[in-house]
Amino acid sequence: MKVICDRAALLSAINAVARAVPSRSPRPQLQCIKIAAVKPAKGGGELVVSGTDLEVAIRLSISQVEVNQPGEVLIPSDKLRQIVSAESNEPTLTLEVAGDHVTIRGADATFKLNTYPVADFPPLASYAETVAQTSAAPRTRTNFGIGAGVLRTLADRTLFATAKEQSRYAINGVLMKRDGKKLTMVATDGKRLALCNGGLGAGSSKDDKAVSAIIPTKALQMLRDLVGDVEEPVHVVLTDSQLICAFGGDISGKEPARATLTSNLVEGTFPPYEDVIPKEQDRRVTFDRDVLRSAVSRASLLTTEESRAVRMKFSNTGKQLHLSSRAAEMGEADIRCDIAKFEGDDIEIGFNPNYIVDALKVIPETEVIIELKAANKPGLVKAGADFVYVVMPLNLT
Amino acid sequence: MRDGAPQIDQEVATGSRRAVEVAAPVGGGPKPARIAVLSPLVASQIAAGEVVERPASVVKELIENSVDAGAMRIEIELEQGGIELIRIMDDGCGIEPEDLALAYAPHATSKVKSAAELERIPTLGFRGEAVASIASVSRMSIRSRTPMQESAFELESEGDVLGKAKPAAGSRGTTVTVRNLFFNTPARRKFLRTIPTEYGRCVEAVENAAMAHPAIGFTLKHDGRVTLDVPPGQGPRDRLLAVLGKELESELLECSADEMDAGRGMTMFGLVGKPSIARGSNKAQHIFVNGRPVRDRTIMHAIAEAFRGLIEPGRYPTAAILIEMDPAMVDVNVHPQKAEVRFRDGSRVHQAVLHAVRAALAKEDLTPRAESMVERLSGLAQRPMWGGWGADAARAILPAHGQVQVASSAMPSAEAVEQDRQKFAEYFARQQPMQGRIGYASLQQAMSASEAQPAASLMQPAEPELLMPPTPAKQVLQVHKSFLVTQDEAGVLIVDQHALHERVMFEFLMQRVMKDGAGLESQRLLVPVVVDATEVQVERLATLTPLLNKLGMELSAIGPRTVAVQAMATFLIEKGVDAGEVARELLEKAESEQGWQSLKMASEEVVRDIVNMMACKAAVKAGDAMTQTELADLLALREAVDRSSNCPHGRPTTIRLTIQDLEKLFGRT
Repeated sequence: MKVICDRAALLSAINAVARAVPSRSPRPQLQCIKIAAVKPAKGGGELVVSGTDLEVAIRLSISQVEVNQPGEVLIPSDKLRQIVSAESNEPTLTLEVAGDHVTIRGADATFKLNTYPVADFPPLASYAETVAQTSAAPRTRTNFGIGAGVLRTLADRTLFATAKEQSRYAINGVLMKRDGKKLTMVATDGKRLALCNGGLGAGSSKDDKAVSAIIPTKALQMLRDLVGDVEEPVHVVLTDSQLICAFGGDISGKEPARATLTSNLVEGTFPPYEDVIPKEQDRRVTFDRDVLRSAVSRASLLTTEESRAVRMKFSNTGKQLHLSSRAAEMGEADIRCDIAKFEGDDIEIGFNPNYIVDALKVIPETEVIIELKAANKPGLVKAGADFVYVVMPLNLT
Repeated sequence: MRDGAPQIDQEVATGSRRAVEVAAPVGGGPKPARIAVLSPLVASQIAAGEVVERPASVVKELIENSVDAGAMRIEIELEQGGIELIRIMDDGCGIEPEDLALAYAPHATSKVKSAAELERIPTLGFRGEAVASIASVSRMSIRSRTPMQESAFELESEGDVLGKAKPAAGSRGTTVTVRNLFFNTPARRKFLRTIPTEYGRCVEAVENAAMAHPAIGFTLKHDGRVTLDVPPGQGPRDRLLAVLGKELESELLECSADEMDAGRGMTMFGLVGKPSIARGSNKAQHIFVNGRPVRDRTIMHAIAEAFRGLIEPGRYPTAAILIEMDPAMVDVNVHPQKAEVRFRDGSRVHQAVLHAVRAALAKEDLTPRAESMVERLSGLAQRPMWGGWGADAARAILPAHGQVQVASSAMPSAEAVEQDRQKFAEYFARQQPMQGRIGYASLQQAMSASEAQPAASLMQPAEPELLMPPTPAKQVLQVHKSFLVTQDEAGVLIVDQHALHERVMFEFLMQRVMKDGAGLESQRLLVPVVVDATEVQVERLATLTPLLNKLGMELSAIGPRTVAVQAMATFLIEKGVDAGEVARELLEKAESEQGWQSLKMASEEVVRDIVNMMACKAAVKAGDAMTQTELADLLALREAVDRSSNCPHGRPTTIRLTIQDLEKLFGRT
């Protein structure tokens, strides 16, 4: 293999792929990035960079490359990244494989790195092959296209509600549900739940039956970060055990994709989220998003690890929200905030302020509605038509 | 019991006669054994079995008589462990010559005149049976002189044969000599143990008396050798140390309660051993109520409770506790040897002791030194200082013991200077100017010692303020993700991260649950965690609800054998504690009969247990990596939290290797 490659393009591809490479692994081959140089018959050339930790895999294509001799190589990720990053004066780098090592050459520098046999790298599922198998072997459960921007919005508005640390009862993933021309993502950590809907793009039939799967949190974060151009189409295929997303290309997989992410799915059942979303809230309070966010953030200053609660008194008569918090051996906070619109009776309830602020951060709409029923019943935060957020109260002491 | 008091009342020996009248002969049956009245001697000998078991009981009874006679000095002479001879000499008020014979009669006493007086007995004796009992099983003589008399009178007896009182030479006070104990009851004599054992028991009796009565001087001679000599007029602290061993001073904490003012009628003084010298049995607990050594469960429980979480289960604190209270508030007439008492208000006594001991422990840095830990763990704990702690009965006559003591007292004076220097350092390390064991006097002493010794001037006594704030640990090393190593003024601290964090959590949670009254804040769960339960558990759930609410838990039965966790303490949720696991443990506790009883009562004990379980789950575990900030925060909490020296289970959280220890280990001294 011998290629001359644009250094910046190579570096950004390596950086993106390296996120899937495990920092620690008993198998050094897994800590490598695979680089394949292809020279299609119709001309030009392409460098395909990929990495995986066996749970999630990322594969990126670079076209800013001149392929002199096609081939494949497995290079330790860390060193490759450091070298490509350090050669910052070079517009291009030459990669040449000979035997069991690769030579990376700039104008005034030559690095010779030991490599691993390419056969040691696990085979990665390909979008095109998976989609092509649909008719022959029906492994594909659903297949659709979505705008990259929509995908990113869905991820942004749910990921924050996933469990921060591993816990047996938390679901370390986000539910993805495709139903006709609608894609829903749901995330929860057992104390709150965020749900966001988005429309599917061209190539998605509204007759397709509902299919859902749980995507690992880490994979969804990477998927979100692969989004560049919000207009770019993303093609998604779900099998029984995997999610494959192809950025660019077309739904049939005939056009090659710019980037592909493959991830194993999380096994298990997602909590029955529809039951959790309260339906009969009799108090409906409308706020200006920024006013509310500022009030809740300030009240949260005087909460501690063991006393999280901010006491919220919603008063209809004064059209005011009165927030108060108290931290043992520290002090108290007392904040008042205007209510834009109030339907229903006064109510007092305790919430973890961080949970409220987290949601307000991802809401683009300026108008936010909080719906409540009782001090020991869930609260509902709504913004726009697509976003619903359930948050469980704290028992006030 | 009967004794030195000048008048003796005549409420006398009719008891045995009355008993005979009741026991009328019964007819019938083939050849029934005839019922006969026991001779007075045999009756006394049987009675003696209750009171006089061995030489030590004689020593105890006679010392008590001397104390009741108002003696300032009591001298005890023993031969052959007291089996051959026991002589108790006092300078008390003596006995009138004409009362001497009565002293030998059973149920004759000068201390109690009517049943009503038994309600409030100010003296140690009151039954009037000790002297009679002892006399019936030995060759005894009483020589006594009251202040008004010109000479002493002496009366001898041998079993039931009583001689005549005759004048004798003698100073003021009473001397009772008991020879050949059990000479006329060979069966009992056979049951005596070896001389060292019997002697050991006698020493215990004398030591107990000496601790109970600091104002009285005691001298104990065995086979002509003085083995204990404490002067009269000592304070309780000096006396306890004199008996227990001066070397223990640094291991003992002073605790006191003076509640006389509050009308509670009780004062208390005590020395309790730091957790590091806890023992495997409770024998090293000396409890005295109104000058009487007792084994009292209430007080022992209070001590154990105060030490809860500071020593491992199965070990017992060492303690010497002196309690004085209104005689009307305590019934001493419940045990033949008066080894037990009954308090009118046991819970008040319990509270007073618990609070005093707790307070003493709370203000102390209980971090054990690595050296003593290692010695203890390796079973080499027979340091000379332990010997003084009463348990080892035969110690004083074992030649080896003497050698050990010589070895320890032969320490060069540099060692003493070193100790003083250390005290000085500790004083400033703790930043509490007046705290029990290191007062101003010892500070002064330490300072003068450091002036004398140039090496000690390293402590810079001229500018003590600079040393005042405890230097916060700057560098912390986490070893194998399990232990933290840092330094303080005295040397190196090694901390078990889980144990310390567990203690910190525990104190936080307890504070919340017990003191603030409000209970723990709790987070409701979006989807309840469902736990399998038994029918018994489900049935008992409702009763537990108030307690659970306090702990931030909300459990509800959602089926005959299913329980749902609706909410759990915020604090635990944030630490990633599994709600199902906590619920399961609670339910299991509720199912066991013992756990159920304590849960029903929601006693402090059971709350502690549960909070302990929660703290354990919430704490960092061995193997958890921590950032520098987290490490520093945790160590800062070590200073802030009470009882941080031990985890709630009683295991130590911290071990200290002092600079002295290190120097010793590296052979630099």
